[in-house]
Amino acid sequence: MEETVKKFNIKELRLKDVKEFIASIPYNKITIKDLLSFEKTTTNKIIAGTIVLFLGLFVIGVLMYLMHGHHAYNVTREHPWGLLIAVYIFFVVSSTGLCIVGSLGDVFGFKDYMLISKRAIFGSIVTIMAGFAVIAFEIGHPVTMLIYNVISPGLTSAIWWMGTLYGLYLTFMIIEFIFLLKNDMKSARTFGLIGLLVGLAAHSNLGGVFGFLNARTISNGVFYPTYFILTAFITGIFIAFIMMGFRYKINFPKEVQTMLSNLAKIQGLLISILIFFVTWKMLTDIYGGMENRSEVAIHILGSWTFWAEVILAMVIPLYLILKSKGQDTKKLFFASLSGMVGIFFMRYNLVHDTQLKPLQMMKKELYQLPPEWVHYFPSAAEIMISLGGLGICLALYYVGTKLFNLDSDTHH
Amino acid sequence: MATYGMALDYKNCINCKACEVACKEENGIELGAEKHRIWVGGNEPDGIWPLLNAASAAFMPSQCQHCEEAPCEEVCPTHATYYDDNGVVRVDSDKCILCSYCMNACPYDARFVDSRTMTVDKCNFCSNTRLARGETTTACQNTCPTKVRIFGDLDDPNSEISVLLRTREHFTLKTHLGTKPKLFYVM
Repeated sequence: MEETVKKFNIKELRLKDVKEFIASIPYNKITIKDLLSFEKTTTNKIIAGTIVLFLGLFVIGVLMYLMHGHHAYNVTREHPWGLLIAVYIFFVVSSTGLCIVGSLGDVFGFKDYMLISKRAIFGSIVTIMAGFAVIAFEIGHPVTMLIYNVISPGLTSAIWWMGTLYGLYLTFMIIEFIFLLKNDMKSARTFGLIGLLVGLAAHSNLGGVFGFLNARTISNGVFYPTYFILTAFITGIFIAFIMMGFRYKINFPKEVQTMLSNLAKIQGLLISILIFFVTWKMLTDIYGGMENRSEVAIHILGSWTFWAEVILAMVIPLYLILKSKGQDTKKLFFASLSGMVGIFFMRYNLVHDTQLKPLQMMKKELYQLPPEWVHYFPSAAEIMISLGGLGICLALYYVGTKLFNLDSDTHH
Repeated sequence: MATYGMALDYKNCINCKACEVACKEENGIELGAEKHRIWVGGNEPDGIWPLLNAASAAFMPSQCQHCEEAPCEEVCPTHATYYDDNGVVRVDSDKCILCSYCMNACPYDARFVDSRTMTVDKCNFCSNTRLARGETTTACQNTCPTKVRIFGDLDDPNSEISVLLRTREHFTLKTHLGTKPKLFYVM
């Protein structure tokens, strides 16, 4: 009897502790009215309208999916992965990148970057949530996945590791963010470091999903797992510029200007490395003499989406960084917008290019007209769900800016 | 317990496609060009008319290779794709989450989505149908008028397929990928 009472007390105490901990998380009490009370400038109205439109498209896209299943998508036997996979990758790369940028200050202790830590970590949470919202409608059976991922884990599968680690990563990011809000920097550093390591592992496993495909010579190998980490960092810096640009209406205070210039210099180095990587990938693909690879690489070089990726994510940002030695942060804000469009094409290309080459099990004459290349263009439902993912991401971020103080406490 | 494989005396194939029909009928496969477990392919004849190389235009029946080192099995996140006791690569549709990773990983384009269950489907050597009823042949083999297909136990040295593979030259597809296919093309 005594023991029962004791146990009960312990339970009560723990529950109380948890309740107290949650109650002590600083947040602003907001109403719908607060959410609607933004400065009514033309830009803000356009952005707000776009977010509402995208959320509406998401609902329509999901309804189409629920009514028609995968028939609502343009994926086929030859091209089973479509736009939604690319958009999922786009969001999780953004998340990992923001986690890296956020960690510069609160995990690695670079003081200049502390003022973006909280915002970046919050950004990493909303981007991965948007990614999960999109992938939930690409995976045929998400509930089955949650069950069998646990009771029947396929440990040789990069998708298993990627999914499981990203689940853990989201948990650590949320915990880190809570400690950042509470200004408990020691705990934030611990969870931030664990979250960063888990996030990097998850992200390189996402690259591994493609790297392990020995049937697809264009993707097979170590390139994607490492390239994903590099491009995540680049994406994180692009989004850092965009977030800070909107926060300060591109009129940056001195310390933000210093931080952004430093980030721009890092970005210049990272983009240069990326160009080096991509150049050598193309050279080895074309001249490496591996079966089926050079023709795919040459085909990629002839596609406009590849050049959109190169010009928007590499050439324009690098040119503007070098021209101003990273000082012209206003222009770099716009370069970052261009960069994110380029990053989207980068993700789309990697998914599509992997599946470009038909496997040609001698069916070409009788089953399909000479498929030199596998064609794919996303369906309306795929486009709507993808834009909806962006809407979810922006809406969650906007609510977060109202709900939490995302500025550095030392700064304000 | 056996190790099932199939030999294809592919030069006997006349492209009547009876095997495709029998497969669909026996295993209840959906209609439609994309939904096929097995197929008969053909190569364009080499050369310029009238100097065409007739031998190069042989029909090539194919399907899942039931690899010993199957990439589709390795990449499955939930073990929905598995090797059964007879070495047949099969899909447990209850566990399949339709991530489509196996479809991308299979070098032989042997997998497709069954839109009734929304899971991935593929050849299983009639394990759910004919073999489950105690029969020893697959539908495609049974129906073939020119006896292209020889299905059997590779572990049994006296089985027809073992004897054939001992006595006739043969090759496998995309051998360089290290998948160790159990579909053998005899020459």
